[in-house]
Amino acid sequence: MVLLDVEGLTKSFGGLKAISNLSFQVNEGEILGLIGPNGAGKTTAFNLIAGFMPPNSGKVILEGEDVVGLKPYAITRKGIARTFQIVKPFRKLTVLENVTLASFLRFSARKEAEAEAHKVLERVELAEKATSFASDLTLSEQKRLEIARALATNPKVLLLDEPMGGLNPTEIDHASILVREICKGGVTIIWVEHVLKAIMNSCHRVIVIHHGEKIADMPPEQVVTNPVVIEAYLGKKAKKYEEGEQTC
Amino acid sequence: MKKIAIIVGLIILGIAPIVFPSPFFVHLMIMVLMWTVLGAAWNILGGFAGQVSFGHATFLGAGAYTTMILYLKLGVDPWYGIILGGIVAVLISLPIGLICFRLRGPYFALSTLAVAEIIRLVALNWESLTNGPVGLLITTLPQVSLGGSPINWESKTPFYYIIAVIALGAIVMTLFVARTRLGAYLLALREDIDSAESIGINTLQTRVVALALSAFLAGTAGGFYAMYFRYVDPDAVFSIGLSVEMVFIAVVGGLTTVVGPLVGAMFLVTLGESFREHFLVGHLIFYGFFMMLAIRYMPDGVWGRLSVLIKKIYTKKGTNHGAA
Repeated sequence: MVLLDVEGLTKSFGGLKAISNLSFQVNEGEILGLIGPNGAGKTTAFNLIAGFMPPNSGKVILEGEDVVGLKPYAITRKGIARTFQIVKPFRKLTVLENVTLASFLRFSARKEAEAEAHKVLERVELAEKATSFASDLTLSEQKRLEIARALATNPKVLLLDEPMGGLNPTEIDHASILVREICKGGVTIIWVEHVLKAIMNSCHRVIVIHHGEKIADMPPEQVVTNPVVIEAYLGKKAKKYEEGEQTC
Repeated sequence: MKKIAIIVGLIILGIAPIVFPSPFFVHLMIMVLMWTVLGAAWNILGGFAGQVSFGHATFLGAGAYTTMILYLKLGVDPWYGIILGGIVAVLISLPIGLICFRLRGPYFALSTLAVAEIIRLVALNWESLTNGPVGLLITTLPQVSLGGSPINWESKTPFYYIIAVIALGAIVMTLFVARTRLGAYLLALREDIDSAESIGINTLQTRVVALALSAFLAGTAGGFYAMYFRYVDPDAVFSIGLSVEMVFIAVVGGLTTVVGPLVGAMFLVTLGESFREHFLVGHLIFYGFFMMLAIRYMPDGVWGRLSVLIKKIYTKKGTNHGAA
């Protein structure tokens, strides 16, 4: 079943088309990978879907309802939560307070909101850090906190913006497991990532964008051998190399 | 422990003008309490919500002029007028908030400065309403009797009790903000507006609410100001100096604390009023000096630092870190 339907999303910054006519669908219960070279427009796509920037045209349809034009908070309330590539925790607040602020969306009483926040912290394995200040966490923990905060709003769709960026291999494996667990818990995920290994292991489907356009939409094992994708990442010479031609 | 402190505080507040009836001392306490209200007003917006305003004199002035004009032109009793002053300040704050909160950080702060100047100039030039630079003057206050005996407005004591009630109200409001979801949301705004927005907080609305609460307190204090001094003119109530003094008191006392504004006002106003006799604006030099000391050595303010010490003495757990 299609949960989120992105249709013809376009965004220009002056003469530069950051996103052009991007369309894709996300099925319920799916982990959809969103990859592309640096500057391809992945984060811009997230900003458009989550309402942090208005698109020039296009629709973002969540369960049959177009949410384009709504403010970010309203989109979060509809059920699309996001994390930030560059983590933005509430630094001077504790981990528990960070997550409680998000669960306040559904529970207006502090006690209930805190109880809910505790549950979410258990889920992302940050419970023992509940009383630490967010600024004292390691990067890996801060990325988890971002996810916890987004989860506490009880989203239908979770947009993860490079949750693996800057993590070491052990932490990456750990985080991949977490993402899969969240998906099993009934949250649909769109996942922007540069760490391809994590994407390949966890995603059901991968979309590749390049210069703001979608160039591939297929299962992960096909993406790595797709000539168009390889060209986008490595250039034409690499393609010739693949084909057995001598390049130098 | 906390309960005892509150009861002792209330008793001191209640009997202070009886124990020390000298007019200067009562005046000093009135000023301390008035500035507590103004500091508390600034603290809600600048401390909890982290939205620095350099234009809070706007709301003080709006409250002062409202109370004054209602009394002089329509004969509304100042005791309603003081509350109405707060309400008019809220009404003025709404469009200001909706416009200025499109800006963030330093740009918001600058816009509040600009708005405050615009309002001061309007008050200066709208002579039919405000009497322009001449200002408005009340010669007599209406007769009110309490328990059968008329209140003597020439004494300062009745004013003391009025401002004491308003100051208590301001502290209770701060406590309410600190304890509820609203206060938690304000802290989120202070930390990061994008993040706050991403977890479903309507940041514009929340900031406007914070500004409105803040404006209500400042406007109420303004109404009291008008009745106490019985004279207002644009430079007295709309000046940037007043806006900046509110910042000083809130910061030196301790941002995002409940009693910080009271401590800041006790500290700075006492100093200021003692020096005012010798030079007219000399107190601002000391305000500035203590502001620098506070920023360098006590970023959590006098109360922020004291409360940590008190907690250490009683070896209770937890640090003073706002409310959420």
